[in-house]
Amino acid sequence: MFARRKVMVFGLICLLFLIADLWIYHTLDKAFVNLADSQVRETAGAALEAVPSGDEAVSNWLERLEQGNGHFFLLYTRGIHGLDPDVTVFSKNADLLAFFESKKNTPGFLKAFENATYDEITRLSDRIVIGGTPRTLLVVPATDPATGETVGIGLFAFDTSATDAYSRLLAVLAIGAAVVFLAILAAGQFTRDPVQTYAILALFAITGTFVAYPLFEAARLSFVQDGHFTLDTWKTILTTRQYVSALKGSLELGFVTATLSTLVGFLFAFTVTRTSVPFKKFFSAMATLPVVSPPFSLTLSIILLFGNNGLVTKQMLGLENFNIYGLWGLSLVQTMGMFPIAFLTLVGILEAIDSTLEDAALDLSATRWETFKTVTLPLATPGILSAWLLVFTTSLADFANPLLLSGDFRVLSVESYLEVTGMNRLGNGAALSLLLLLPTLIAFLSQRFWVSRKSVVTVTGKPSARLTELASPRTRTALLLAMSLITLFLFSLYGTILAGCFVKNWGIDYTFTLANFREALQRGRDALSDTVLLAAAATPIAGILAMAAAMLIARKTFIGKRLLELLIMTPFALPGTLVGISYILAFNKPPLLLVGTAAIIVINYAIRELPVGVEGGIASLKQIDPAIEEAAADLGADTPTVFRTIVLPLVRPAFISSLSYTFVRSMTAVSAVIFLISARWYHLTVLIYNFSESLRFGLASVLALTLIVIVFATFGIMRLLVRKNVYLEKTVG
Amino acid sequence: MLKKSVSVRLEKVTKTFVDPHSKKDVHAVREADFTIEPGELVTLLGPSGCGKTTTLRMVAGFELPTSGKIFIGDEDITFLPPNRRDKAMVFQSYGLFPHMSVFENVAYGLKLRKVEAAEISRRVNETLALVGLAELGNRPPGRLSGGQQQRVALARALIVEPSVLLLDEPLSNLDALLREQMRVEIRRIQKSLGITALYVTHDRTEAMSLSDRVIVMNAGAVVQIGSPHEIYQDPVDAFVAGFIGKVTFFPGTVVEVDRGCTVSLKGRTMTVPRFAEGLKPDQACSVMCRPESLRLEEPGSGFLDGRVVTNVYLGHSVESYVDTPEGEILVQVDNPMARRVFAEGEAVSVSFVPEYTKIFPEEGSDR
Ligand SMILES: Nc1ncnc2c1ncn2[C@@H]1O[C@H](COP(=O)(O)OP(=O)(O)OP(=O)(O)O)[C@@H](O)[C@H]1O
Ligand SMILES: [Mg+2]
Repeated sequence: MFARRKVMVFGLICLLFLIADLWIYHTLDKAFVNLADSQVRETAGAALEAVPSGDEAVSNWLERLEQGNGHFFLLYTRGIHGLDPDVTVFSKNADLLAFFESKKNTPGFLKAFENATYDEITRLSDRIVIGGTPRTLLVVPATDPATGETVGIGLFAFDTSATDAYSRLLAVLAIGAAVVFLAILAAGQFTRDPVQTYAILALFAITGTFVAYPLFEAARLSFVQDGHFTLDTWKTILTTRQYVSALKGSLELGFVTATLSTLVGFLFAFTVTRTSVPFKKFFSAMATLPVVSPPFSLTLSIILLFGNNGLVTKQMLGLENFNIYGLWGLSLVQTMGMFPIAFLTLVGILEAIDSTLEDAALDLSATRWETFKTVTLPLATPGILSAWLLVFTTSLADFANPLLLSGDFRVLSVESYLEVTGMNRLGNGAALSLLLLLPTLIAFLSQRFWVSRKSVVTVTGKPSARLTELASPRTRTALLLAMSLITLFLFSLYGTILAGCFVKNWGIDYTFTLANFREALQRGRDALSDTVLLAAAATPIAGILAMAAAMLIARKTFIGKRLLELLIMTPFALPGTLVGISYILAFNKPPLLLVGTAAIIVINYAIRELPVGVEGGIASLKQIDPAIEEAAADLGADTPTVFRTIVLPLVRPAFISSLSYTFVRSMTAVSAVIFLISARWYHLTVLIYNFSESLRFGLASVLALTLIVIVFATFGIMRLLVRKNVYLEKTVG
Repeated sequence: MLKKSVSVRLEKVTKTFVDPHSKKDVHAVREADFTIEPGELVTLLGPSGCGKTTTLRMVAGFELPTSGKIFIGDEDITFLPPNRRDKAMVFQSYGLFPHMSVFENVAYGLKLRKVEAAEISRRVNETLALVGLAELGNRPPGRLSGGQQQRVALARALIVEPSVLLLDEPLSNLDALLREQMRVEIRRIQKSLGITALYVTHDRTEAMSLSDRVIVMNAGAVVQIGSPHEIYQDPVDAFVAGFIGKVTFFPGTVVEVDRGCTVSLKGRTMTVPRFAEGLKPDQACSVMCRPESLRLEEPGSGFLDGRVVTNVYLGHSVESYVDTPEGEILVQVDNPMARRVFAEGEAVSVSFVPEYTKIFPEEGSDR
């Protein structure tokens, strides 16, 4: 593989390319620098063409010059230092003056002064920093137009940061081109399967650029001020009352929501898996419904029902000072929105517990309650803990609900948003959202290394169709009643949104109207089409990328696989606010100036939904005999062909659900995208928020309803597509 | 249509895996070094885990050798990816494409080779007929019996007319009758197309009946290469002798090594023409006897006296298990109609003809 000839050819091509690359870089850089330099010289020369003579006049002249022109400072000496006996120095800038005084006797300066007598302009090798920007120094002679003699010298401090930035960009591009070219060349020469190597390199490049780099930038900003390492930002964050209370608030809210959601989730899961109540299918469906409800929708209806002008609080109960904003209102909304997460986790766990264990306990004449307490509950404990942790982290990362409903109550996600967009304090915002990552990380790690290790559930692979009734008739009635109440409440929340669409002015004037639809769809048309367009663009990218990554991770061995896996999976654990902030930090400067474009939104969608797709792809590939793909390769298919003709069709269900998941999540995104939208590219969810903020609840309801319809339609289509599967019914493997 | 047959050559091929849990090295194949001649069918025979599949997968290109080289014809293909080697493999687990019909499965390789649709259809039907599946082209492979799936896998590999055919225990999931039929079919096709074939099995009858030559592997190493006949009659060591067929070892002592090896056994001396290398006088040795080369005689006239414990009647022969001071010994009495069969419980004496045996150094092996 590493035959001597191949290595030599490779080395030669590398060398040629590097020389060409360097040459192009050098030429371009020099041409631009010269252009900029001649411009600067021209400006300087022109400025010194008409130097007045009197002290007062020179002073005024200087002032006029500097006011008229933003990008230089000027120090003028009448007479030449070191040559003329008396020299008068004029300057409006103290920094420049001090610099001149300290350096005027250095060889560089003296040489420049001497040059000036020959009417030559000299660029000094010293640089000066004034007002945070480094400046280039130019020594320019002032000539008496009558005699042609040099009568004085101008020391110009030009702002050349634009030129420097251009040079840097050019260097980055040149290095980037070299790296890309050499990587492609090396992969083609030295690996058995170049396509696979390209795919791996591409994935590394993508995740490195759009996961690792922004995070690094966010972390860097929280530690660096004015180019120095400092802990100031973190000191501020951890000592300022406002921020500390936001941290406390986030944890409090997470704790309450996680506990309530786990309780409700367990109620549903237990009843569905361990008792014989009627309508189980219905209740299961109800308990998963809120997973797909768009952001703001539940909050919106809570405000409509219990807000200052709420239907229940004001109109029905006549309460004047009821305040739904804050911890309890938020916990209520989050619980309704997040208990499905707990439910789904717990159903999985409870179904996996072999009910023969409970039979055994009952058989040993334990009562049902004792059986539940001593068998079911202990077995389910790890599951309950992981459900709790999952909801806890989801609650911490939640942004939409607190944005509308937090009132005076502070949470980290909203606080970091306000820091960034309201106060323009990017460093604080980055630090706050990084702070948010900490509990998430702890929860994630404890789930990984502690809860999952304590898990005693064994999946037997022969789920018993039998079911042990664990509830007495009276308990069953109570469970049923509780579930019905919660379901009813959920219904009324959705019903409220529907009703809100048709009401003229909620809280004041409940007359029926269709005007909301017209106005909302008119004002939201652009946002709606943007949203659909961007989500539709992200969907296939994320889907294909996810399946390709899944194939590489599940089937191939390569160096750095664990790292790639980590990079791909990381966005799953990142709160949206952190992603949003780190993206605007990382991509607001060349060479990746993406802020304000559609690309950054699409990339953000694709990267954030990648982990779920990859997980799904890996899971379904694990059930497929690798010999199937090997057989295809054996018959002559290269890696892309195997991917297209074998892997994609086989993981079709995972692929389609990854597609629809990405689409739906992108349609309903808010926490990261709110930082990335621009006047040109808007997002529907942000519009819902804006309408709600300006109390146009009718319009907000219509848009929320639109989103709900789109979400359900997507999932409906997905179901249809996945079902249509003649061959794959039971034959994989 | 017939291509030129090619040879397959392995040069000191070694494969070492790293066990993912203990991080220890697993020596799956050690310095395998052999050539399969053009058009030859060679079986890889050995106990489970001895490295047969690994060897095959290296030839196919799914594993890279840790060291060594592999050639097809004169071309070094060691690092060539699987899709660029002129070979086809029949996988132990079939690896049929579940999302395609039987027809599409078989047509897959031809489509990749950009064969015209009409031509594909003709050849697929031809090949399906060859393996007796003409009627089943439209079925999904999931709705076929194990034997039918097996034949689809075979058809899929054969249709691309590979220079080299690799088969990994292709018949292990079939019933005895079907297995025999398929064995004959594979051999016929392989011969008629001049395909060079490497066939992995751990079934010694399969290896014996099918192959031009057999390669016996043990613990990653090639132990012996030879025709079925050689392997059976002239095994290089006790392991091969025991693996390739039933065998009994009698302990003795070497007296003299010349053109034959003279041993003393139970007080008698005899000269045996076949013997392992490196035997020296006065060395303890064992005499290998196949059940069919042993004779049962009246008590006192053979080497070893004993008593028949069980007789198993097999039609063409009877297997008599004889209890002796050396342990239980199996004697095969061929053509029982023409010979005397001692009844169960009868006292007998065991003897053999030296020409049918082989001497090995004593290593305690008595399989
Ligand atoms: N990917 C792998 N990683 C680690 N060890 C492996 C791997 N593949 C095979 N081995 C080990 O290499 C040895 C040889 O395996 P191989 O599959 O070649 O055996 P085999 O002769 O085909 O056995 P069988 O007759 O049971 O199929 C075994 O000890 C096996 O555990
Ligand atoms: Mg095997």
